[in-house]
Amino acid sequence: MIRTLLWLLAGVVLGGIIHIAVILSLPALSATSAWDHVAAAGGTGPGPTVLAATTSAQPNPLRLDPELAYAVCRIDLRTGPASVTGTLPQAFWSVAVYNRAGTVVYSTTNRDGIGTALDLGIFNPGQTRLLAEQKLDIAEGLLIVEAKEDDLFVVVRLAPPHPEMRARYEKALAGLKCGTIAT
Amino acid sequence: MLVVALVVGFGLSWYALSDGRLFGAIEIGPWSAWRDVGMPAPDPYTRAFIARSGALELGASEGIQFIATTDSDNRRLDRACRYRIDGSTPAARFWTLVPVAPDDARPITREGGPTDFHSARLSRAGDGSVELYVSKTLAPQNWLEITGDGAFDLVLTLYDTSSLSGVGAVVAALPSIIREACA
Repeated sequence: MIRTLLWLLAGVVLGGIIHIAVILSLPALSATSAWDHVAAAGGTGPGPTVLAATTSAQPNPLRLDPELAYAVCRIDLRTGPASVTGTLPQAFWSVAVYNRAGTVVYSTTNRDGIGTALDLGIFNPGQTRLLAEQKLDIAEGLLIVEAKEDDLFVVVRLAPPHPEMRARYEKALAGLKCGTIAT
Repeated sequence: MLVVALVVGFGLSWYALSDGRLFGAIEIGPWSAWRDVGMPAPDPYTRAFIARSGALELGASEGIQFIATTDSDNRRLDRACRYRIDGSTPAARFWTLVPVAPDDARPITREGGPTDFHSARLSRAGDGSVELYVSKTLAPQNWLEITGDGAFDLVLTLYDTSSLSGVGAVVAALPSIIREACA
């Protein structure tokens, strides 16, 4: 009896170890991360890539909101600090920086008085150090984001007040500039 | 022992990341959300969830997304039934409510028709509360026509909301989902 219970207990403990191993290894093993889904949706280049509108005709692996328009820029900080700049319409928009695992490194909305101009600079720790030592020349008013990884993507969400205005808002997203800050 | 270990290990992992939401989730009535999903350093469970779902999660300052798989009486949402979504939502710049297919998150609304509810385009009662209907059959007030058979999920996304800022903050109230009649 006691022996059986001990075996059961050992099984539960081993199960707990398996559980922890699964949870911790999943981010590295998953083949269906947001990164892969963005790449499948055409977001492989520096961009900006405007994602297709969500309709009932297609699957929606990125779980996009049909009301919003999305632009994606893929960024590699190994080639230098990245920038996302442009002017967006007077409506709700937000910016999020994701790492390869799909975790949001940084996000903001246009609520905080940044109005219609988007001016974002993304730096890795080494580049941030250069920035602090004033060895990098950047424009004034640049919103500085520090990221630990080099492989990132930036998603700009823009909410057209009405579906009829979508085409115009997508054009505004396509007019964003995703580039590298010269060092 | 091995059987117990495997069942506990993988079963608990699956449960924690899909339906159970034992860890890191906020539950309000039928609605649930992952609290840390938009944070730069989420806990291991949230990290595993992000990797497994592969969705573009909203950053913490952009908003929060709730998903309901059941009605307020804990019955699975069924496309054969008519649902009334009733009540008020937390303060947010705007919100959207989309009925989606559980497997690939595509909107299940009739093709060519509206895909979702948008908070700015609803008819409201005098006190600002809304009454929404999701069904295959014609309904009064704000109605979204859905198609197909089987289960579905409701996705409620609040944009630019302060309802979850600060540790331990709770959302005051989310609308209830009431099953009215089934075909």
